[in-house]
Amino acid sequence: MKYKELSVKEFLDEVKEGNIDLEDFISEVIEEIKRINESFNYFVYISEEQAIAQAENIKKRIKKGENGGRLLGLPISVKDCICCEGIPSRAGSKILEGYIPPFDSTAVRKIKEEGGIIIGKTSQDEFGFGSFCTNVGIGFKIPKNPFDPERSTGGSSGGAAGITASLNYPHIALAESTGGSISCPASFCGCVGLTPTYGRVSRYGLIDFANSLDKIGPIGKRVYDCALLLSVIAGEDNMDQTTIKQGEEDYTKYLKEEKDEVKIGIPKEYFGEGVDERISKLILNVVGSVEGMEYEECSLPYTKYGVPTYYLIALSEASTNLAKFCGMRYGLHLPLKGDFNEYFSNVRSEGLGDEAKRRIILGTFARMKGYRDRYYIKAMKIRTMIINDFKKAFKKYDVLITPTMPILPPKFDELSKLELIQMYMLDLCTNPPNVAGIPHISIPCGKIEGLPIGMQIMADHMEERKVLVVARKFEKELNLSG
Amino acid sequence: MKNKAEEFVIGLEIHLALNTKSKLFCGCSTNISGVEPNSLCCPTCLGLPGSKPRVNKRAIDFGIMVAKALNCEINPRMFFSRKSYFYPDMPKNFQISQYELPLAKGGYLKISEKKIGIRRIQIEEDPGRLIHVGGDITSAEYVLVDYNRSGIPLLEIVTEPDFTSTGEVKEFLSKLSMILQYLGAYDPKKEASMRIDANISMGGGRVEVKNITGFKAVESALSYEIIRQRNIMRRGGKVVRETRHFDPVSNTTRSLRAKEMEEDYGFILDTDLAEVAIDEKWIKDLENKIPELPDERVRRFVEEYKISERNAKVIVYTDKAFADFFEKCCEIYDKPTQVANWMVTDLLKSLNYNKISIDESEVEPEGFVEILKMIDEGKISGRIGKELVKRYVASGKNPREIVEEEDLTVLRGREELEEVVKKVLKENKNAVEDYRKGNKKAIEFLIGKALAKTGGRADPKLLREILLEFLK
Ligand SMILES: [Zn+2]
Repeated sequence: MKYKELSVKEFLDEVKEGNIDLEDFISEVIEEIKRINESFNYFVYISEEQAIAQAENIKKRIKKGENGGRLLGLPISVKDCICCEGIPSRAGSKILEGYIPPFDSTAVRKIKEEGGIIIGKTSQDEFGFGSFCTNVGIGFKIPKNPFDPERSTGGSSGGAAGITASLNYPHIALAESTGGSISCPASFCGCVGLTPTYGRVSRYGLIDFANSLDKIGPIGKRVYDCALLLSVIAGEDNMDQTTIKQGEEDYTKYLKEEKDEVKIGIPKEYFGEGVDERISKLILNVVGSVEGMEYEECSLPYTKYGVPTYYLIALSEASTNLAKFCGMRYGLHLPLKGDFNEYFSNVRSEGLGDEAKRRIILGTFARMKGYRDRYYIKAMKIRTMIINDFKKAFKKYDVLITPTMPILPPKFDELSKLELIQMYMLDLCTNPPNVAGIPHISIPCGKIEGLPIGMQIMADHMEERKVLVVARKFEKELNLSG
Repeated sequence: MKNKAEEFVIGLEIHLALNTKSKLFCGCSTNISGVEPNSLCCPTCLGLPGSKPRVNKRAIDFGIMVAKALNCEINPRMFFSRKSYFYPDMPKNFQISQYELPLAKGGYLKISEKKIGIRRIQIEEDPGRLIHVGGDITSAEYVLVDYNRSGIPLLEIVTEPDFTSTGEVKEFLSKLSMILQYLGAYDPKKEASMRIDANISMGGGRVEVKNITGFKAVESALSYEIIRQRNIMRRGGKVVRETRHFDPVSNTTRSLRAKEMEEDYGFILDTDLAEVAIDEKWIKDLENKIPELPDERVRRFVEEYKISERNAKVIVYTDKAFADFFEKCCEIYDKPTQVANWMVTDLLKSLNYNKISIDESEVEPEGFVEILKMIDEGKISGRIGKELVKRYVASGKNPREIVEEEDLTVLRGREELEEVVKKVLKENKNAVEDYRKGNKKAIEFLIGKALAKTGGRADPKLLREILLEFLK
């Protein structure tokens, strides 16, 4: 049996039929990701032993006739910030060197229960602090775009998107987004990235960036892959009190739905200043070319506050989350010297990269007495207004469609010339839906200069179904991936 | 000598460990005393990356009950906040506490002379415990950390600066502690279950004294601090704004750091924990569960048992178990006044002497009442009764058994006593002579001697009769 080129769906059917030798298959996949990793740096850790052990286990189970499990034998890569029991989980940072979590995150536990095989931890910006996967931790390597190794994969889930695009075997990536970290790399690498409603998927076991913004979600080759993995990981969890009450849901079944008329809003703020005109045009062409899609221009006036609001809230929260990394209980340790303050400072100086330090300082500033009301509290208030903006729009439209990223996947040397603020402004399309916590997906919708372009589809809270139905419709019509 | 400039006010921040079975944000047990260090911990209370807090509703229940008992207004929306500072006993280098939306605010507690204002009540997690090895906080060779305590629910009660004497502070704290015990929210026997920071303002200066554990230490800390500040002022100095550390061994305070600026904890909401909506129904349900509180109990004791208000107060405010003991005694012995008198004098004295509380002692209502009954029956003298209370508290041995075994019953045989008196007269010739010379008081000395010879068992009246006869 040839394993290459199988889609996730085909693969799972073959496993059920008993046509696949899982040990053999996993070994082959591991060899392949090792080979890819040598030049592209998508993995920070390949969990070969655990993966093969898991494959053996499942093989035995199948022999006994237990072939249940929605992900039976399917390779799953996990973003480094999501904890897997017994596998180093460092959120891409040197400061967590040596940290091996004693527990599985809820999402990973559910994946394992459905027979998914964890193949390794994927590279990311340190703690998710970046949109280009260039802010990797000290000693980590920057992943390269599969379409052009001179270019960025996008971030922060760069490794997840990179391996999804490069690996010619069935596989889904478990990623995470705080401000666009699923959409952005999915767009730059030509994959599908689904960011669920905040609270849809448990964050238990996620190494926090910003607790009120973090969302775990899938990156896959196809819409189906994302719907499948979401069906497994979604659900209320008593280990994370911010999860939303919800029943079991099979998101893949929505993909067969034929919705005749979809009302689409095109928010003009996402197509104006700062967005590459070629990208705007491409998106509008695609939307116009598909039958049964009714679209009109609309306005989300608070869009321009999306980026500052996002950064103020995210960094305020991040600066408290990162305080615990001080070389005392786990992670990087240094020889003891001076009092505890000096020791903590030394560890943090050596273990954290520049962007992490910058964000801790900015975030601490935003919540200091005298500045707190002007920055942190104000951002919290504007966040409500951004949400109301979306709520109003979703009264009229099923979904909103925008570009995912305003530029083509950038070259590394282009990025190094950008000012910090210019770099942050590139999140202008991805920050607002993340700040609002609404579900959104990025799907590939064409190419410019041979580089993939992502289209972002957003819907109201808990309306993953609408996002998936519309995404599948485009996927089919455009025949972009089978 | 007190002059105007030396007047002071005191405000308290009281931290009480809430008596829940499990910690505030995880399932770990709160029974940490005598347990091996760092054995009652999990990813959450160790703050491991990826762990998440989940709130223990029981702690909020207790908080609501206390807030109600202290006449506070409860916030319908409660939120937890992160209080950030770096310290080795804090697993996350922030403490989950409250800031903008605490549990409750604006209440009071009445003590004998006045109302003490309650500014706010909030729920927060306890940090771990530091063990300074080879010295104290400033001189230790090294420090060990035990995270068993990390995550134990604390109730922080902040008072207005309404206290003007240490006596008021003491009364307030014992009353507060009592109310919390009645609510079941607090167990004073648990390790370090009450910790206090006190703010003392005198002559414009404001000093915060930290690390006061238990309300007996409060008195020492405050007394020391008031004298220290007064002395500075008398020498013409100025009390500087600072934080001081109380050392319970030397009963002194020591400067930790000058407090020129307010500390900045950079509070933000802890969005791992959802907002807690506290509605009327929740509050009502708990209000119905609030038991009779100490003040009401005093009133009832006076009305129902007809004992003096003074005795009722001593019995109720000693501790809850002591008041329960009183009621149990009254169930099996229908002379409440007698019970009350014996409890507030002899029983309490013996308990205090042995430094134990009634429920730590082996004294049972049945045994205690036996003593009173034996006196009623004329079987033992009052003096033997007092002796028996002492021995009962110290040994736990049943009083009636002691009486039987050691034959402590009252000596009523005249012949037996005559023998004793004869001996006493022979041995104390000087006293006899004094008496005969007209010093009538000498007879008391002789009665005492005779009583001692019988081990207190003789009836003093009978002894006097016999002595007078012999001395004629
Ligand atoms: Zn715990």
